[in-house]
Amino acid sequence: MDPITGLMNGFSVALQPQNLMWAFLGTFMGTAIGVLPGIGPALTIALLLPVTVYIEPTAAFIMFAGIFYGAMYGGSTTSILLNTPGESGAMMTALEGNQMARKGRGAAALCTAALGSFVAGTIGTLGLTFLAPPIAELAFIFKPQDYFALMLLAFLSVSVVMGTSKVRGFIALFIGLSLGLVGIDKASGLQRLTFGVPDLMDGVEMTVVLVSLFAIGETLYVASRFGLHRPNLNPLAGGIWMTRDDWKRSWKPWLRGTLFGFPIGALPAGGAEIPTFLSYTVERKLSKHPEEFGHGAIEGVAGPEAANNAAAAGVLVPLLTLGLPTSATAAILLAAFQNYGLQPGPMLFINSGELVWGLIASLYVGNLMLLILNLPLAGLWVRLLFIPRPWLYAGILTFSLVGIWGVSNSWVDLAMMFAVGCLGYVMRVYDFPIAPVLIGLILGPMAEVQLRRALSIGQGDPMVLVSTPLSVVLMIVAALIVIVPAALHWRRTRKIRFDDAAGGGAAGR
Amino acid sequence: MTQRPYWLAAAVIVWGGIVLLKAAELPQFDQYAHVGPGFLPSAVGVGLMVLGLMLALQIRRGVRFEEQGAEDINDNHAISYKALGLAAAACALPMLTMPSLGFTLTCTGCFVLIAAAFKSRRHISDALIGLAFSGLCWWLFGKLGVQLGAFVPLLGV
Repeated sequence: MDPITGLMNGFSVALQPQNLMWAFLGTFMGTAIGVLPGIGPALTIALLLPVTVYIEPTAAFIMFAGIFYGAMYGGSTTSILLNTPGESGAMMTALEGNQMARKGRGAAALCTAALGSFVAGTIGTLGLTFLAPPIAELAFIFKPQDYFALMLLAFLSVSVVMGTSKVRGFIALFIGLSLGLVGIDKASGLQRLTFGVPDLMDGVEMTVVLVSLFAIGETLYVASRFGLHRPNLNPLAGGIWMTRDDWKRSWKPWLRGTLFGFPIGALPAGGAEIPTFLSYTVERKLSKHPEEFGHGAIEGVAGPEAANNAAAAGVLVPLLTLGLPTSATAAILLAAFQNYGLQPGPMLFINSGELVWGLIASLYVGNLMLLILNLPLAGLWVRLLFIPRPWLYAGILTFSLVGIWGVSNSWVDLAMMFAVGCLGYVMRVYDFPIAPVLIGLILGPMAEVQLRRALSIGQGDPMVLVSTPLSVVLMIVAALIVIVPAALHWRRTRKIRFDDAAGGGAAGR
Repeated sequence: MTQRPYWLAAAVIVWGGIVLLKAAELPQFDQYAHVGPGFLPSAVGVGLMVLGLMLALQIRRGVRFEEQGAEDINDNHAISYKALGLAAAACALPMLTMPSLGFTLTCTGCFVLIAAAFKSRRHISDALIGLAFSGLCWWLFGKLGVQLGAFVPLLGV
């Protein structure tokens, strides 16, 4: 199906009243969780997974897409009005946006953020529309060894890029991999790491791990270090909407932000932080008013916000075409596909065309809904932040229990919730990144399947893993991702030691 | 917090060792797929042990662990162990009471404990709100098709 026909079919699905309702519900919830601390899009989708067993897949994914996009909008609102970025992609927006709000230009900041998100989201979705089918076509020629190399690349880049320490990133990945091994081995039927517990034979439930790591870990962490910063609501009254000058200063950053966000979002471990940061730096360099940066420059809101939303669209490209999740939210979306017995990848576009195109079309619809939901109602959303914290976090635990107990009413899951929750707490205290655990948990078993396929095709010869040009390239890139930073680090530390030695070794530890 | 948390490295090594031991019970290779059921668990186990050793080395060299940022936490990251204990108790409570007392009552208990961890003193009103909220969740998600068990299994209600 070519993109235009596909998209037209998609709109006929997405514009059905029932699906419009799901899209609205998704965008509404997404905005709310973007505003609230302690819950993000990955967690919300994980908690909703048990519910979706009873909803048809198209409706469920339309809702999930709304949550995914909506969380980005909600994050920008609180960054600007309260200087509390609800999610990591909104950090840069908080820098300039909050300064603008303090000067009574909050309305203009919200306006440029929402419009920028809309422009970037729409362009990003256009990119998804026209790029995804050819990439999916390309994926048909992928052999098992190519997939294996691609997953290896995803493992390595996620562990190296996320977090501050590579060793800790890899430990997180390997913990995820080890959890992914639990259960009956599909090839041999033997039990692995089940310790004789029948509940573990089906493997570790993704929902349980994700909810425990995020919600339970976060609750324990925040409870132990609780200190409420009473939010100072910057009044919107008397705010001036975007002036002609604001428009002139905003439209280029929107487009440049999109250019950063979409491709980086599509890369493994790209995420939203790097493009928003890049966009901010570039706007600062290019601006005619560099002195305004740090004191409320509108470019510093427009660019990063656009980059943030474009990255969200970018993340969907490898997920839908290759079945490759590149962020925690994408990992849980992949789990959702698997719950329905669907495997994202080239076959998805053929076997479930209605679902994929309905989902893509609903992204356009959702973007428009978010613009309407957010621009006039920003002041209302912010009120959500005044929910008393004891009730907010207690409510999050209640929802978590719905998600965990609702999966299979298993006591083992409750024990796992406690254990993995404690793990999440320790990981926060000692700064281990969390996303690699999820990527390892969900991609590990898939990588094993591809490895086995490749080896049985190659009759056990390990050289089969580098037998196609693509797999060679991917393996080299994967190796470089690990070697280059390590070599740079080694050179730097050697230089410091050398300097120390030259300086008489006075700086010894 | 100790400056040299060697126990972190030890925990990683122990978990790697467990994975490796369990993997050793399985065949490492097989005829058809060449990679047997035990092969990857062995690799992961070895990987974890090596990473644990590397972490121990880093700790020896005095690597710094900076706590992650989050909303709603105090500026100097001061820890209240009482609050942590209460929150942990809330997360452990379902293991004890969920099968017998059911979803609603368990969640009410968790609600009060978490609220107390977040320095709420109004335990009675917390309990009432928790009961109403978890009752609502039980009813609503039940309607949506999520199986949350009987209202109070012990009484068979």
